[in-house]
Amino acid sequence: MRRNRRSAVVGFAYLAPALVFVLVFTAYPLGQMAWMSLHNWSLITPPRFVGLDNYERAFKDTQFWVSFRFTLWYTALITPVLIIGGYLLALLTSQNSLLRKVTRTVVFIPVVIGLGVSSLLWYWLFSTDFGLVNRVLLDLGWISKPVLWLGVDADVSNAAIIASVVWKVIGFGMILFVGAIQAIPTDITEAAQVDGASYRQRVTRVILPLTMRTVLLVTLVSVIGSLLAFDQFYIMTAGQPQNETATSVFYVYLNSFPYLKLGYGAALSMILAAFILVFTVFQLLLTRRSHA
Amino acid sequence: MRTRPRWPALAATAALMLAAAACSQEEAPPTAGEGPAATTTCASKGDLTMWERSGGNKQMVDMLVEAWNTKNPDCKIKLTYIPHTEMVGKIAQGIASGEVPDLMGMDLIYAPQFEKAQQLVDLTDRLKDWSELKTASKGHMTVATYQNRLFGVPLYADVSALFYNKDLFSRAGLDPTKPPTSLGELRSYADKISALGGDIKGYYLPGNCAGCNIFTVGPLMWASGAKIEAAGPGDEPLVGDGVKQVLQFTRDMVKSGNVHAGDRTENGETFHLQFGSGKVGMMGTGNFNITLAREQNPTMKFGIALLPGMAPNSSASFIGGDLVVVPKGSKRVNDAVNVMKFLLSDEVQVEVYAKALNLTTRSDMVDNKYFKAEPLVQDVAKALTVGRTPYTLTFFEQINSPQGPWLKLLQRAYYSEDNLDTVIADGKKEMKAIAAQS
Repeated sequence: MRRNRRSAVVGFAYLAPALVFVLVFTAYPLGQMAWMSLHNWSLITPPRFVGLDNYERAFKDTQFWVSFRFTLWYTALITPVLIIGGYLLALLTSQNSLLRKVTRTVVFIPVVIGLGVSSLLWYWLFSTDFGLVNRVLLDLGWISKPVLWLGVDADVSNAAIIASVVWKVIGFGMILFVGAIQAIPTDITEAAQVDGASYRQRVTRVILPLTMRTVLLVTLVSVIGSLLAFDQFYIMTAGQPQNETATSVFYVYLNSFPYLKLGYGAALSMILAAFILVFTVFQLLLTRRSHA
Repeated sequence: MRTRPRWPALAATAALMLAAAACSQEEAPPTAGEGPAATTTCASKGDLTMWERSGGNKQMVDMLVEAWNTKNPDCKIKLTYIPHTEMVGKIAQGIASGEVPDLMGMDLIYAPQFEKAQQLVDLTDRLKDWSELKTASKGHMTVATYQNRLFGVPLYADVSALFYNKDLFSRAGLDPTKPPTSLGELRSYADKISALGGDIKGYYLPGNCAGCNIFTVGPLMWASGAKIEAAGPGDEPLVGDGVKQVLQFTRDMVKSGNVHAGDRTENGETFHLQFGSGKVGMMGTGNFNITLAREQNPTMKFGIALLPGMAPNSSASFIGGDLVVVPKGSKRVNDAVNVMKFLLSDEVQVEVYAKALNLTTRSDMVDNKYFKAEPLVQDVAKALTVGRTPYTLTFFEQINSPQGPWLKLLQRAYYSEDNLDTVIADGKKEMKAIAAQS
């Protein structure tokens, strides 16, 4: 009994640093945000308790739900591209030849650039008057007049932004997939080969099932990142045309800081966080199931 | 009667005074009191901290700070630039956490919000007798004042005006000495310039930039007798025939091909580069574009006129720029006031602002040797006399926001077939709803 208590104390001591970290950097800010969401607070005036008014207003706020729907749409479009694209790149480069190592490095380099910087870079590349993209397409004769990439048509803008984000982050998934593929014991794949499995069969029947946990992990990270998309839309379209490319976080930002409605922004954030939490739990359940 | 020597008491008093002098570098919290008489030099030693937004007139602010630092080597201004879009939030956070600079430059349009929230030091009693304020930019002074109390002075001024390309005027058979004086003339001149063909267009409309539009299209409405923003709860926005007339004018300009298709994507990032490209006949822009256009296109000849309205010879301008204010919690109010005195002094107005061909912030300083040698600056300075600055507590939400009703209204007018009365009615409704929350 005494030994059990001692081991519990030791276990708690091991756990304590992580627990403190979570309490200080996650639980406390979350509690603070929940408190803020119940107040009318502009930062420059004292907070005033308003109960659930901010939530009531959020549920009636058309623009918030337009932004939310757009965010879901963006997530639904970009996630398969990142996962399938990243996995295909990983399959191509998972073996350690020199060319494959160089390719991996080249694909991974944009990951280390900040998203804000890469968005600004792509904003200029897509510029109608000064951009390289239109110049190249015109010179190749693929278009007869410059394309208005950003802020005019929601679908074209979204496609341009997705292209820029895929360039920026696809290397992240690829590296994780490469790690997972390389961790598969070679005797398993060799056994499949000896049994006459084609490359496609080895990928779909052996490699993919054995790397499914990583696939789900990358999907989880990618979906959360996309649901929290901000920089690329803020810089490249500012929500235009007619707020059709405004994401949820962009709307939260506008309310919290430029509009100085911190309480309302916090309520919007809580709603968004609740949605992401539900999705994450669902995803983790899936991961556990695949593990079992 | 002989008394005991008082040397110990005097020494103690002197020591206390010295200590007090040393402590005075960190002044007591600001009050609305008069304070010592302002000078153009520092009252104490040690760096002054100042914040300024990065998207403003950086070149001008750097020169002003350098001029102050040269004159006050023991009391230099330590300037920090905050990204333009972060400024309001950053100031608000600084005030909330008590981490504020000694003084700061503030986009003048946001000042009323902070004045109402009592987050700026009331300087009325310190500044009320300054003769310089009688001629200080009216737009700046309007927004620096809340309920008859004064909270700041101009840091620099940006005014909008109509820039026109004289080379294209000549090529189109127009008289380059006669810019348009009404929107009707502007339209007919634009038609002739666009008819030159190629990549040349008569006019420029920034289709995706709320701020650029209030700066350049707003004055077209004001000059046509309209009012744009709702000042506060219950106030009616978008009033006057000029609103619809200008929206119709802009829609016609787009439809008739007088603007580049790419203008529609302009979110402000490349706005300052458009006139200097030499492909635009006329464009509403700011005084900052004089130097930029020259650097970009040294051989291009251009002129500057006032932004016109519907009626001949009507005109208006947007007076923008920054104020210098003192945030609540500043420990160096006296020195911040001295910086203000310095900025408004004759010497700085002429030898710093005018010499660098920037607008002076006092109208009585416009008549100086540097402007006389530079007719374009003289032309743009005329905008100060017809300019105005909107006054509302919700400027960002109503006007400047990329998701706000102002940009939505303009985009529907420029690029859709929606009935303009409906467009205006929708804009009114949204602006009133926002103002009602102020």
